[in-house]
Amino acid sequence: MNLIVRITILFVFVSLIVFIVGGVISYRVMMREVKYEQQRFLEERLERMEGLIEVRKPTDTIKWSKLIVVPLSDYRSEKRVFSDTLVMHSQLNRLEPHLRLDAIKNVDSSSYSISLYDVIIEEDDIKDGLTESLTTMYLILLGAVLIIGFAASFFILRPFNLTLAQIRKFSLRDKDQKLEFPKSSVSEFKRLNKFLTEMTDKVKSDYRSLKEFSENASHEFQTPIAIIQSKLEVLMDGENLTEEQVEQISYVQNAMRRLSNLSNSLAILTKIDNKEFINVSEVNVSNVVSSLVEEFKELLDLKSLSTKINIEENQMLNADEVLIELLFTNLINNAIRHNWEGGEIHLTLSESQFRISNTGPTLTFEPNELFRRFKKSNQSAQSMGLGLAIVKKICDFYDYRIRYEYQNDNHTINIDF
Amino acid sequence: MKLLLVEDQLELAKSVKNYFVAEGDVCEIASDTKRAVEKLFAFHYDLLLLDLMLPDGDGMSILEQVKDNWPDMGVIIISAKNALDDKLKGLELGADDYLPKPFHLAELNARSKAVYRRRKEGGQKKIGFNEIEINLETREAFVHEQMLELTRKEYDLLHYIIVNQKRLLTKQAIAEHLWGDYMDTADSFDFVYQHIKNMRKKIVEAGGKDYIKTVYGVGYKLKQEE
Repeated sequence: MNLIVRITILFVFVSLIVFIVGGVISYRVMMREVKYEQQRFLEERLERMEGLIEVRKPTDTIKWSKLIVVPLSDYRSEKRVFSDTLVMHSQLNRLEPHLRLDAIKNVDSSSYSISLYDVIIEEDDIKDGLTESLTTMYLILLGAVLIIGFAASFFILRPFNLTLAQIRKFSLRDKDQKLEFPKSSVSEFKRLNKFLTEMTDKVKSDYRSLKEFSENASHEFQTPIAIIQSKLEVLMDGENLTEEQVEQISYVQNAMRRLSNLSNSLAILTKIDNKEFINVSEVNVSNVVSSLVEEFKELLDLKSLSTKINIEENQMLNADEVLIELLFTNLINNAIRHNWEGGEIHLTLSESQFRISNTGPTLTFEPNELFRRFKKSNQSAQSMGLGLAIVKKICDFYDYRIRYEYQNDNHTINIDF
Repeated sequence: MKLLLVEDQLELAKSVKNYFVAEGDVCEIASDTKRAVEKLFAFHYDLLLLDLMLPDGDGMSILEQVKDNWPDMGVIIISAKNALDDKLKGLELGADDYLPKPFHLAELNARSKAVYRRRKEGGQKKIGFNEIEINLETREAFVHEQMLELTRKEYDLLHYIIVNQKRLLTKQAIAEHLWGDYMDTADSFDFVYQHIKNMRKKIVEAGGKDYIKTVYGVGYKLKQEE
């Protein structure tokens, strides 16, 4: 929900409550004033009546409209009492609330009871009037708020929206990108823009140093390994070595090679994470897969694997060629490596799918762990368990869906492009 | 062959130098770009082995100078940065080959010889060991002048062994030479064995002697019959 809409809704809600409470208070005050005026009006009439009584001294009950004067036989002390009463309204022809004043008046030692009443301004009328006027005012306010809200979001929030648009363009990879935030005279926006500028600069420099670190780490690993490797080779070529010594050196060499490969593979995973493979072009996947199959042919033969290859020609993918090659190399390599001597490999490439299945021993771990780093069926095996982790990472990077199935000693990996 | 090795890791440089000296080549070492350029201007070299990360700058700048001033000189980049963009950039600037660290000295030797031969007009076209001879241009192998029917990989293997004929070649070095990185080490040793076996058979059938000796089960070496 839009910020301005939210504020408007809150404002409308609060003002509704204010209007209701204000209405009740106005009603009370008005009622009080009306009653007070009414009483004064009745009292004035009473005084006029007293004047009349003094002049005329009535002996019989007088009944005028809204006035009853009764001469009393006994003497009573003077008093005035207001009360509410219902009286038939002559025009409306229904009972209406009236205010009534009962008074005892002594004139020349005789007492008179005087009752006066008159219709008051009706409560209903005040209520209706108030409701109508307040509702109208409320609607006008509502309209004004909406108009101001939209105007505010357009004019006042304009710098904010421009800043948002700039942030959307922000890219970690673009080294030279400089975010240009709009100038604003509003201090909050100024602070926001300043903070954003500082933060994006910091993030970029952190990202750059992290990237440099992971690449340098890989590089720094390779250099000492290269020295060790060369020295081992020299050592191995020496005269007078026993078989055992040569064997030991060869073990060290193998271990060094694995260490080097490990560091390379981790560097690749980091690079994919850092989105460094951005040389996207149209890659002919059919050609890539076909030439890989050709390259691996010998390995297939040496392990006496029978293959069923079905590649639809000229299937294109928009991706980085290096990653695509790595993806299929690892998949084919995996299918050969975890196969039986004399096993089978089926490979299909169609427009939307790549499918490779191979015979091989059952996994010793849960299938959903297959694509995790350093997961391998035989912990002592030479492989590092990074091949399929890289495959998964590449698939995630390009939003390809990858699935693993196992049925009757057949492992199938399916990729939907 | 006269080489200039530009490498700041002195111990690695010494191993490489010793290897080439034993091969009968001349190899000099420069440990930074300044010294490398000085040497390049002072002497003539057939081949430049160039590390990219140097204490006083990027090796690419040396490569650019070499291509401007001595376009005939072969260049092999040896870098710990196994980064594809570096490789592409290097090859684009005119390097002949790119060898990521760590490498086998035998591999560096084989590649150096190949670049040298390609660069040098009228260079060596044939190399051999006793009655075994290979023609580097036609990629054919002969025993007593009789051509061997070798597969591509068997030819590569024979070539590799003959180029490094004084050396013990481990199965690992051979596997990497033949298949590059995407080989499982465990499997590859069997594959190397298979190839050696087939090649031996073909050489012996053609009347050659079996010079390829297995050394303690870790590798192979060419040996003169005693």
